[in-house]
Amino acid sequence: MSDTQTPGGFTGNPTAALDVAGTGGCCGNPPQATLTLPDTAPADAGPCCGTATDAAAEGSCCGSTAKADAVASGQGCCG
Amino acid sequence: MTTPTVPVDGLDPLLAAVDGASMAATVATLAGEPFAGRRVGTPGGGAARAWLGGQLADLDAAVSLEAFPVTAVPEVCAAPTVSCHDGVETRRLDFGRDVAVHLASAQQPRPVRGDLAVAGHGESAGRWLLVPAGMSLADAGGHADRAAGLLIGRTVDADGWQYTMLAGPNPGPLPVLSLEPGLHASLLRAADRGVGWLAGNTPIRRVDVSAANVHARWRTAADGQPDLLLTAHYDGVGDHPGLRQPAAADNASGVAVVLEAARILAPALPGGAGLAVALLDAEEAGALGSAHHAAQLRDDDVQPWVINVDGAGHLHQAAAVEAGGPAHPLLAALHQAGRHTGLTLVAGPVASDNRRYAAADLPVIGIGAGMAGYHSPADIPERVETSALIAVARLVVATAWLVATTPATRSSAIGD
Repeated sequence: MSDTQTPGGFTGNPTAALDVAGTGGCCGNPPQATLTLPDTAPADAGPCCGTATDAAAEGSCCGSTAKADAVASGQGCCG
Repeated sequence: MTTPTVPVDGLDPLLAAVDGASMAATVATLAGEPFAGRRVGTPGGGAARAWLGGQLADLDAAVSLEAFPVTAVPEVCAAPTVSCHDGVETRRLDFGRDVAVHLASAQQPRPVRGDLAVAGHGESAGRWLLVPAGMSLADAGGHADRAAGLLIGRTVDADGWQYTMLAGPNPGPLPVLSLEPGLHASLLRAADRGVGWLAGNTPIRRVDVSAANVHARWRTAADGQPDLLLTAHYDGVGDHPGLRQPAAADNASGVAVVLEAARILAPALPGGAGLAVALLDAEEAGALGSAHHAAQLRDDDVQPWVINVDGAGHLHQAAAVEAGGPAHPLLAALHQAGRHTGLTLVAGPVASDNRRYAAADLPVIGIGAGMAGYHSPADIPERVETSALIAVARLVVATAWLVATTPATRSSAIGD
């Protein structure tokens, strides 16, 4: 028997999973209850945590509030 | 990319054996009152650990515990008593929804009453200072000489809860309460008008505790064969006084998936692959259990192939996968497993224990299908979808099976 051809597997290149933003830190898994298939990367997605607005408001990309909100919103986080 | 066409004879009976009811029962047990949300270092966490050790022993594994210390775990030791007046009416605030104790708060056991003011504007002594949007806590603290405390606005989740975090900033010198954004805005307007007061306490302390990972092994890898390590954290953020936080999706669901995958794989995994499980403690305190374990593996020069599951309670369109270390062969097997089981995967953040193994340069994939009620009283077993448990368990079983059976294809299936 060969592999079945059902839908599934990575929607893009699997190796993209090796280059997920925020990999350098760790602060709890984001809730991805509404995870949807991405069209393109959000324009304001930062490389570290949360949105650019979050980070700017906190004064630091890895500030506490930005970090917690980034985790809760599923945008990633930073260590 | 090319589609791998690895033979899968023998896999389908294993996938058919995945038992959703058993996993749902595991989630319900771990989320139950006796385990009290499973915060690291608590009696509930210890009881969960003992129960899990028994479950693994019942699966004929060699079980061991690995203890390690964790310092300064935040613990809200009483429900805060907070009331306020916005110039129109007096309100008693609802702990967990209207108000929560901020991680950066100093301990203030007894309620302190003070007039409202805006941080950075006017006199601060004896007043509760509302921190405007855009002002950091550090900056607010600079305007808070002899203040009663700080009040910051904090987003609530779809259920209206202020989610709990254990990993975060160290405590500062002042009491800090986080308020639901609408309430914060209302009190900010009152403070601007020079009216209003708040009376409240911040009963939070830091405790040094002992944590422990639960290890189980069924098979040792033969020379040149992969050693599979399935991981999930069993700790939660813990109950608050009067406020249960069952931690069903995060991460009783991941533990249930790992136990079920191990149950199926242990007697059936082909070839000379090894099989072990690590149920990790203190993830919510900063992924400390996996940090401890990864350091051990590095010191022992052992390189397992790690599959970590954090959040298998809800599946919308796809599961997120984050990989680290030399994981190309593992990703190839995962990709084929996703295709075979019909589970769509997307590269996305899984900020969990997998990152500690990745930092140790071990091949690792983290899988997060999703969860509802993150770190709140809404993370209950009834919101964990059995279909999601089944989908992720099938993915893990298939991935492990493919790793064990297809060594010749592992390095080429995704074109690396």
